[in-house]
Amino acid sequence: MRRLPDVPPRGRAITVDLEGESLPAIEGEPVACSLIAAGEPMLARSIKYHRPRGPYCFAGACSHCLMRVDGVPNVYACRTPAREGMKLERQNAYPSAKVDIFESIDWFFPKGMDHHEMFAGVPVAEQVMAKVARQLAGLGLLPRTPAPVTAPARTVRTRVAVVGGGAAGLAAARVLTERDVGFLLIERDDALGGRLANGAPEAGGPSLDDVHRISPSSVLTRATALGLYDDEAGRFLAVGTWEADAPRLVKVYSERFLLTPGGHPPTLPFENNDLPGVYAGRAASLLLRRYDVAPQTAALVGWGAELHALANLLQERGTKVVAVVDLRDSPPPGAHATAVRGGEPKAHGLRGVSAFSYTREGGGREKVSCDAVLVSVPVSPSFELARQGGAKVPFDAQRGLFVVETDADGRTHAPDVYAAGDVTGGGTAKDAAAAGRRAAQALVGGLS
Amino acid sequence: MSKAMICSCEDVTVDDIRHAVSRGFCDVESVKRYTGFGTGICQGKSCSAAVAALLEKEKALKPAAVVPFTPRPPLYPTELRLLASAPVDESQPPVGGLPQDVDAFPAALRPEGPVPAKAKVVIIGGGIMGLALAYNLARAGETDVVVLERGYLCAGASGRNGGGVRMQWGTPSLVELAKRSIDLMKGFARELGINVWLRQGGYIFLAKTKPVAQRLERNVSLHNRFGVPTRLITPDEARGIVPGLTMKDCLVASYNPEDGVIFPWPFLWGYAQGCQKRGVRVETYTDVTGFETSGGQVRKVKTTRGDIACDTVVLAAGAWSPQVAKLLDVKLPNEPHRHEILSTEPLKPFLTPLVSVLDSGLYFSQSMRGEIVGGMGDAKEPAGLNMGSTLRFVSRFAQALMEQLPAVGHVKVLRQWAGCYDVTPDNNPILGRTPGLDNLLQMSGFVGHGFMMAPAVAERMAQWMATGESDELFTRFNLRRYSDAAGHSRDFGSGTLEREDMVIG
Repeated sequence: MRRLPDVPPRGRAITVDLEGESLPAIEGEPVACSLIAAGEPMLARSIKYHRPRGPYCFAGACSHCLMRVDGVPNVYACRTPAREGMKLERQNAYPSAKVDIFESIDWFFPKGMDHHEMFAGVPVAEQVMAKVARQLAGLGLLPRTPAPVTAPARTVRTRVAVVGGGAAGLAAARVLTERDVGFLLIERDDALGGRLANGAPEAGGPSLDDVHRISPSSVLTRATALGLYDDEAGRFLAVGTWEADAPRLVKVYSERFLLTPGGHPPTLPFENNDLPGVYAGRAASLLLRRYDVAPQTAALVGWGAELHALANLLQERGTKVVAVVDLRDSPPPGAHATAVRGGEPKAHGLRGVSAFSYTREGGGREKVSCDAVLVSVPVSPSFELARQGGAKVPFDAQRGLFVVETDADGRTHAPDVYAAGDVTGGGTAKDAAAAGRRAAQALVGGLS
Repeated sequence: MSKAMICSCEDVTVDDIRHAVSRGFCDVESVKRYTGFGTGICQGKSCSAAVAALLEKEKALKPAAVVPFTPRPPLYPTELRLLASAPVDESQPPVGGLPQDVDAFPAALRPEGPVPAKAKVVIIGGGIMGLALAYNLARAGETDVVVLERGYLCAGASGRNGGGVRMQWGTPSLVELAKRSIDLMKGFARELGINVWLRQGGYIFLAKTKPVAQRLERNVSLHNRFGVPTRLITPDEARGIVPGLTMKDCLVASYNPEDGVIFPWPFLWGYAQGCQKRGVRVETYTDVTGFETSGGQVRKVKTTRGDIACDTVVLAAGAWSPQVAKLLDVKLPNEPHRHEILSTEPLKPFLTPLVSVLDSGLYFSQSMRGEIVGGMGDAKEPAGLNMGSTLRFVSRFAQALMEQLPAVGHVKVLRQWAGCYDVTPDNNPILGRTPGLDNLLQMSGFVGHGFMMAPAVAERMAQWMATGESDELFTRFNLRRYSDAAGHSRDFGSGTLEREDMVIG
């Protein structure tokens, strides 16, 4: 990964401290982005096998970028803005992440391990294992000092709580604005837009214009919906926000919950899919569009329209795309020149990606050199809040995803919960926006 | 080393999932528990769909049986200090809790084919009580046993507890049973081939008020009489054992270094596998729908997969026991009470014992995996089979924990869940024969400590059932104690029966 040449910096140049070494960063961008752009893709060692790990999802939805930041363990480096002088440490390694003797565990257990049966009932070995396991378990050390106390939680009441400011949520917010229905849009990122701002552009997709039609007082950014709960005053979302750079809990009571949180970048199981240098497709488009950081040479793997749109976007911005492997279909018209249908992907490299191989349709193994493998598959719906609220979440075997079940107007099994967009199984951003509009119209009709 | 990761938070490979299926763990909840997928930092966000797709593709599950494991709040790791900032109105009882349908299992998960048409013993409830009893019966030679479980193994309180095991009790019976249980736990892996990770880091009970302090003082001599090395310690000594503990408002503490924590799930799997090896049938996702009785005997147990004619029925359904007993017109005095619990991000070892503030019902320990696992009772919790989660609980817990251990403010909660205590009027179990239905045996009412009692209780009960030798356990704790000769309920506040007062929460 590198910063694109000839692009003016988007913020102040600062330095951060990685285990005593000063590294350049741009103030305010995710510090994981600064680190990979500075040539440090390995940020951690994994919990059991001490495998090298680097950021994968850039959405705070995996565990690959957890670091000790200013003395606090297990902080998502991909969600933490870079600050001058911040102290970053890699966790779970001895003596260091670059030379970690516990990496040997990975070699001792080539097929994985069954800790339930290992040494079970073997005299002495069993006791020794228990002692060793306790010392090896866990990620990170308890903070040395008490945390500052947070301000008391705030309570907010609104008619409609919209979770997620992507294509579906923005379209819904526009309808609610036009109908003059009070709402609060809760967005985890620091800016609205979701894939409209961060994804590979979609031909004929909705524009970001709706953002400007929404009153800022109806929007909470950097706000994470933590759970749908209820108490004596009704159902509410617990939302973790940032106010004046300090965390604050907000309880959002609402008559309707319109859930448009999109999805999480899923794991695609293939050999070495956890190597530093393997990124989710949406992470790559985010890094490129928001922070001007991109691989020099990339191989792409996955399926769906986003895979091919991403390949073309990268190519346009100067990344050498050396392979695009569609695991499900023949490449569509307009796909990248290297695009083929294939299978059995594998990443290669010791501490980071150096190559990628796959089997071509019809046989024949191909191997290409690259510094990044980008995994672009449809996102895995973030069904958690909907399920907590009583929606049904069946498995869509065709797509291989759990999806929130709704009718055409976004109604779920729970009367006060509506859902639209990727959370219902995805599709294009255009489809998501249309579904968001329909859901907003339907739920407004039901309000007294 | 080349590996295909399916859950990279917990380093679970595709091969690990296949291995679990080969061991008989096929549904998503069971595969999660056996492999640990989805229990890490991301709580299944990146891996759930991939695991489900693999189970479906490799025909471990029918498509309709592929349901996600229950998503638990918080949706993202959340600092305890943030959760502690929510207001809690202690004057109000807790209400609600989400999600509500935690224990609704799709019919597609039900195994195909009928249950056996007859069996000598039918045990209702595949929690640790039922499975441990079945295993002990099988070991004693009685293998014509069927265990009926309405969900997956670990779906009930046996899979939802904090894994604490202690000998610090207030009545001789429980001290003795717990002591024996912990001995059996030490040999569990040798006997059943599965690790249960017993770690004897001790239990420290803190007392904030005079009456609780007196209770702890009184216990010391009782415990010592049974060879349990409990001693009273000063706040300074407690701080020596748990660095960073404030001991705020605490008068005194009691400490038994031989108490500890275990990992609950493998007990159920170990007992179940031990049963199956000896020919006992363990039937999961099978509901009891009714009974056939005649002549003061239960003749048949009716299930969603057919009827089982039987000689003896054991009711070991924990918090569900009164509901099942009702099908027989037997009124049990047990009441289910929700108890909530949570687990944090895993950290390197820093906390050796389990610590509990007996006055408030707060308890916390560090699991073998490094998570802080803890809960807190709520005196205002209404009765009911409720396993939903509340913000009220996490807030109360976070406040109480940070009071005693301020360094945890930045520690993040990964998930919260709930289970039900099976509460009896005297905090003691119900064991033995049922008045009016001679072949219905009770094995419930353990008020949140059944897990740690089960190995010893099951051993005694199997012995009693197999030999017919009398055992005072089954008369002392018989259902009859709750009513007088005229059949009226007795008042347990009056001190007619010994009440266990070392229950947390």
